[in-house]
Amino acid sequence: MEKAIQKEAPSLAYAIDIGMIDLKNAEFYMTTGGFTGLKYSGQDYNRITLRRAFPIGNPMEYISVADKDNKEIGMIRSLSDLSEKQYSIVLTELEKRYYSPTVYEVKSVKDKLGYVYMELLIGRDDSKYKKNCALKDVSKNIRMLDDDRLIITDVDGNRYIIQSLSGLDKKSFKRLEPYLF
Amino acid sequence: MSHKHEFHYDLDLAMQPAKGTVSFDQTGQIISFIGDKILLTLCAGDITEMSVIGGVGCGLLFAKMNDESEILLCRFTFSAMKAAGEFCKVINFYIQTKQYVTPEEKEQPVCEKCGRPLIEGMSVCLFCYNKISVLKRALDLLRPFAGKILPAELFLATSSIIYLLVPLFSRLLIDEYLRPMKGTSTQVFLLAGAMFLARALGELIYIFSSRVFNEASIQYANHLRNLAYEKIQKLSMSSLSKRTPGDLIRRVMEDTGNVRNFISDGGRWAVEQMIIFVVVLIILLFTNFELTLLVFIPVPVVSIALSRFWRFIHIRYERQWRKNSKCQSILHDIIKGIRTVKAFGKEDMEIQKFSKATRELAQVSSDNEAIWARLFPLMLFFTGIGEFLVLYYGGQKILNNTLSLGVLVQFSMYITYIYAPLRWLVSFPRWLADAMTSMVKIFEILDEEPDIISLPNPKNVPLSGKVSFEGVSFGYKSYEPVLKGIDLDIQPGEMIGIVGRSGAGKSTIINLIMRLYDPTQGTISINGVDLKEMSPEYLHENIGIVFQDTFLFAGSLYENIAYGKPEATATEVIAAAKAANAHDFIMQTADGYNTIIGENGHSISGGERQRLAIARAIIKNPSILILDEATSSLDVETESIIQDSLNRIVQGRTTIAIAHRLSTLRSADRLIVLDQGKIAEVGTHTELLKEKGIYYRLVMAQRKTSKIAEVS
Ligand SMILES: Nc1ncnc2c1ncn2[C@@H]1O[C@H](COP(=O)(O)OP(=O)(O)O)[C@@H](O)[C@H]1O
Ligand SMILES: [Mg+2]
Repeated sequence: MEKAIQKEAPSLAYAIDIGMIDLKNAEFYMTTGGFTGLKYSGQDYNRITLRRAFPIGNPMEYISVADKDNKEIGMIRSLSDLSEKQYSIVLTELEKRYYSPTVYEVKSVKDKLGYVYMELLIGRDDSKYKKNCALKDVSKNIRMLDDDRLIITDVDGNRYIIQSLSGLDKKSFKRLEPYLF
Repeated sequence: MSHKHEFHYDLDLAMQPAKGTVSFDQTGQIISFIGDKILLTLCAGDITEMSVIGGVGCGLLFAKMNDESEILLCRFTFSAMKAAGEFCKVINFYIQTKQYVTPEEKEQPVCEKCGRPLIEGMSVCLFCYNKISVLKRALDLLRPFAGKILPAELFLATSSIIYLLVPLFSRLLIDEYLRPMKGTSTQVFLLAGAMFLARALGELIYIFSSRVFNEASIQYANHLRNLAYEKIQKLSMSSLSKRTPGDLIRRVMEDTGNVRNFISDGGRWAVEQMIIFVVVLIILLFTNFELTLLVFIPVPVVSIALSRFWRFIHIRYERQWRKNSKCQSILHDIIKGIRTVKAFGKEDMEIQKFSKATRELAQVSSDNEAIWARLFPLMLFFTGIGEFLVLYYGGQKILNNTLSLGVLVQFSMYITYIYAPLRWLVSFPRWLADAMTSMVKIFEILDEEPDIISLPNPKNVPLSGKVSFEGVSFGYKSYEPVLKGIDLDIQPGEMIGIVGRSGAGKSTIINLIMRLYDPTQGTISINGVDLKEMSPEYLHENIGIVFQDTFLFAGSLYENIAYGKPEATATEVIAAAKAANAHDFIMQTADGYNTIIGENGHSISGGERQRLAIARAIIKNPSILILDEATSSLDVETESIIQDSLNRIVQGRTTIAIAHRLSTLRSADRLIVLDQGKIAEVGTHTELLKEKGIYYRLVMAQRKTSKIAEVS
């Protein structure tokens, strides 16, 4: 049944071109100034911005590439379509735009007059450090990404990700538990 | 004196945590370093502009060089974002003016005690802000009501003490008259009567004090509410837009209500119990020291158990509270968007979403009730131990004739007074915490500094003069400029049209003229007087404005038109309505100008709404009229009707009009084309068309989509 209907009304993707970048004609490179540039179909864009369309659900696909003036040049369907070298340049740039350190431990959680103060052990596997942060409106700023992942946004707008709630040590989980739902 | 601006950043170029600094000194040198490793040195003379780009959770600082290249200076987390914006401003100011402003210690404020950075917009560290200081402040505000609250407190104490006399009477009755069997029946009657009277008197005084308490707490809450409301009215748009309307409403209504409840219930109860506890303790100690100690044996156990229990149940109640607020917000959302839900046929989906949330809430609540039901009797059991000990030990003593029966009866009666508060102590911390949180939320509003400052002696010149923008830059966030270096003179009586893509900053220019925000750089003046020297109230009274989304208040059409000038005469109201082409449709309604609109009232169409808004704006006979996409949501025909009336009204007034449909602005004396926060083109319609620039392209694009626009 459903298939028959689909045939009658073709999906929007046929009608609207979302402007994929032809990766064969594209070359991402590092500029001397410390940015990422793109040479594409005869043009040289010397500072591009990469944005994820689905930073939470699907971070490695549908990447928008915009020029200096924030005009979209086109989209990359999937990072896996890139050559190895290009892949690493694009991924590095993405990781510099999306900064959300992993939370390894929740050292303390204190409810203070409507704000929640947390002491977190964050960073990457090879370098962890402590960070004090304050949260306002916990019901909005502690958000489950899926059944097991969690994102915490503090008052400054920094984001911290708990990759696996079930993988968290017991004490950390206990401290966090009252704020989850 | 060598000053240096410093910006401290917290990530290295590979996004690893680091402690780095960018410094900027009087010689114009900009150095980025981590520890003693210098990463980069630039000279301000080679730079055109310093900018910040915000990413997600992080940002970067970079320099646009004179040779058009761009150089990255450093990266940082959002914690340093604001400081980065400030730092940029200082350098850009230097680049533009060659003036080095000395730093005024604008580092991010941190708490002196714990070193945590203060949350933006707050003057105290909530982490260290202890409950005592909140309480002290709340009490300070309570002072005007002391005349009521203190006597009420006194009455309350009296009534408690009278109550506490009853066990003493009991002892007297037993030991003096009954046990030795030497009392007469009159004596017994008198004593029993005295006990009865004491109770009755206590009850009376109690009722009286409750009433006074309630009154005082209502007045106090009203007082707070008015303070908060007044403050909200005075706050600038930038402070207000940080919070949602719902949040502000909750602060004014619910939070003040919480405080009231606390004073009339929780707080009063606490004071009463404290008095009882102390008085009973004294009486007991004087009557029998040993037995008193026995009474107190279970107290430490109970206290420890209670605080454990409190922590346990607190977390669960917190969760229940959150689930409850989630249910409410789902409901709120759906009811607001019910038209969309129905139009998309998603009722079932929404029902499921809501019932899932309520199911969860029901689950948590019933779990909590179950825990409560299981644990509370346990608490009672502990206090039962004390009663047991007193009865057992006291009974032994009576048998040994070392204690009188009266004393034992008196003790077992007092035990209830000592333990009752303990039992309720479980809920007290929650009441207190709730009241404190509400109190702090109210204080937060009261403490907010209005950032649009009104000078004590404003120079309110007539607004019919020239409006000038000189080098005006502005951004809603310090690191994201929306307007950059706007220079513009608007002659008196001139009609200016502003065009540009959406998001170009058109409405922002209006916001600045209305002084809803102050520019970050540059000045705006009318008749040569800086807007900052005028009072915002004066400005708002003399500028008429029509927005795209018109807000009409619940009330009559008459009241809505006269909103801008409540003292307007009927003639004026009709004149304004006629000028705005609203008169005819108003007269079509049964109730004419007395027609009630708003909730449950007469519903009016978008075009009618807009005409009312125009009438409301011009009834003040403003010298400056602003139309911000006033007719954009209307169909072309209605627009042309309104346009006619506007053309009439605009005569002799300085008018600034923003419109999507360029044909609307045909009659403008000059058009300003805004692009990326800068003025890209200025000229009449014909001049701009000849220029074949942005305006030309916009016109052509609109012609393509609508054949009607016979422009030029
Ligand atoms: N209150 C606000 N807070 C933060 N950013 C805002 C606010 N109002 C507008 N902006 C931003 O400022 C820019 C210009 O907005 P605006 O002047 O409303 O544009 P328009 O030309 O469409 O009227 C937009 O990028 C918009 O997102
Ligand atoms: Mg606008």
